[in-house]
Amino acid sequence: MATIFKTFSSTDIASTRTLLHEAIPITGSIISGTYQRGEGGTEENIKNYSHGMFQSVFDYPFLSSSANQIFDVTVGYSSAISSSAYVQNTKKVNLYNQMAQMLNGYDHTGSIKKFQTSGGVDQDAMVFINFSRLLTKDEVKKESYIMTFASGGEWEASSKFANLITLQDLSGNSNYRVDSPVGEYGFLLSQSAGANSNNFASGDNHVEIGRVYYQAGIIALTASMGIPSGSNANQPGNQEGSFSVNPKQTVSSALTGTTIQVFSNAVRNKINKISFNNTTELNSTVYFCRVHHNEFNYSSNPTYLTASKLRVKNVATDTPVTYITSVGMYSADNELLAVAKLSEPLKKDPTNELTLRVRLDY
Amino acid sequence: MGFLDNSGDIILDAVLTDTGRMRLAKGDGSFKIVKFALADDEINYELYNTNHASGSAYYDLEVLQTPILEAFTDNAASMKSKLISIPRTNLLYLPILKLNEVFNSAVTRHAGTKKFLIAVDDDTEDEFSVDTDGNAINGVLYGERPKQGDNFIRIDQGLDTGYELSPSRNLDSDLVETQFLVEIDNRLGQIVSKGGERAIPSFIDDDQIATYYFSLGTDGQYVMENTSKSTNTGEQTIAGPRGTMLNFKVLASIDLNTSDYLFDKLGAANTLAGKTSTSTSIKQINATVRVTGATTGYRLDIPVRFIKKQ
Repeated sequence: MATIFKTFSSTDIASTRTLLHEAIPITGSIISGTYQRGEGGTEENIKNYSHGMFQSVFDYPFLSSSANQIFDVTVGYSSAISSSAYVQNTKKVNLYNQMAQMLNGYDHTGSIKKFQTSGGVDQDAMVFINFSRLLTKDEVKKESYIMTFASGGEWEASSKFANLITLQDLSGNSNYRVDSPVGEYGFLLSQSAGANSNNFASGDNHVEIGRVYYQAGIIALTASMGIPSGSNANQPGNQEGSFSVNPKQTVSSALTGTTIQVFSNAVRNKINKISFNNTTELNSTVYFCRVHHNEFNYSSNPTYLTASKLRVKNVATDTPVTYITSVGMYSADNELLAVAKLSEPLKKDPTNELTLRVRLDY
Repeated sequence: MGFLDNSGDIILDAVLTDTGRMRLAKGDGSFKIVKFALADDEINYELYNTNHASGSAYYDLEVLQTPILEAFTDNAASMKSKLISIPRTNLLYLPILKLNEVFNSAVTRHAGTKKFLIAVDDDTEDEFSVDTDGNAINGVLYGERPKQGDNFIRIDQGLDTGYELSPSRNLDSDLVETQFLVEIDNRLGQIVSKGGERAIPSFIDDDQIATYYFSLGTDGQYVMENTSKSTNTGEQTIAGPRGTMLNFKVLASIDLNTSDYLFDKLGAANTLAGKTSTSTSIKQINATVRVTGATTGYRLDIPVRFIKKQ
């Protein structure tokens, strides 16, 4: 009986799970400067919204259809800081609470849990950097997140990156937490090249600055981190600020006296670079197409025959031969559901057997 | 599609077809791969040179250098020529499918267009059943009243060896085609039996291609054994041992029957010799009815033209 299909047996189909990692480097020039129209002009890849609750960073001028949103920046503080005299006070409190309920959940009374250090100290003001799914895919790989900040200086000054501090999820693989409703998170720790260098006090080394929520792709940083002091802290011509890791530091007018957009500008412009590895969880089904010696040795290709006679044979005792270029995967009702192509023809005759491994990723 | 990089290791480029994605999206369990087939679409076996002066190692030199295109996602565009499993290795001949246009005048294509013409309404049937002299026009199928028309399409299967093998020999049982797949654009027409009974498609894919299955034994109106041992070339088209034959007609769709929309979108205007004039105005759509042997994989494309008198 001639046949053109071969049915898979249960041992021919296997399911696998593979974690695929990509390196995601984000340079400071994209975050601030690359798409600036003239000195001090509009940054065409930064999108600000009329509601003023967050700012989006694109990899290209956002009006272009080829632009991709890469992350959002926003800031909020808890009701402990709240005052009706502050700029966008309600929105900042709402944002803090929204992010806290998403990332921290609720306590036993149903109240939203505040951000806290691992030591239990409240973090009442937080900056949030929310990466798009395009970048983080299924999750941020643990121990891969590195972020460098200008540790002081005017945020519009070109010299701002002279002194850098590094934030990293050190020990993310071995020391992460699972008590967040959005999955696992690790602590971002400060790093310095040495004591008292880079505006960095010796006691500031390996101090918790914030958290990285791996599956959610969100960075929560204490808002006091690296924010210049002074009443005009976020305006051109501001004073140099010092790095502080005190989570309870009063952030004064830098946070309370400016809009979310202005504060986001300040944070964004102090980012030197961000890099991490994302993770894609590939669930694959592998189909082993086993071709035995006595199978698929003839072809229905119209050029295979001339006057019904096989071109590849002179006499009946010659071995038939075919050349495989495609593998078709079919449903029970013979519908072609997937197709695989070989990069070069594969010779098949009765003297050989083949196993073609077709992997479909989902 | 580009060519696959063939400079290094052999790679396998796999994609879901549009039908596969559609079934996956349905989420009803219809996306289930249960079998596979192999094909050699790009291969031209005419390049296989059994007389190569350097010996058998060089027979397939040019065949193996064939560049391979990336996979098409259109399910209808891939796996055109499938490989066949036959346990025997001593076959020198393989059966083919061939349009029989010699059996009688009812099975021939239209002489001028070399296609089967499907008249989509009764006006068109009446106009193109005879010419201005009252002579019957061959190759015109009644698309609205298929029971009334005599013309039909006939496919014969067997070893077309030019009578090198006598038709008096029986075709080996493992080479007899017992099931045919017929594919037609469901927007244009449907398959009906020679007696005008409408067939039920097995499935209609995302591109509106309907697939019909006709089997020997269960679909006696369509598939029958060709028991003729005749060497009369005016009756049989397979010049050698014969297997089965497939007969069918095409019913025009309601859309074509009642509207010009698809004619304007997919077709063109033309003229054709008919009963009232040698250049009657028509609208036409060219299409293909594809017949595939489910057992032997051999495939035949039959050119058809849907016509509508204006």
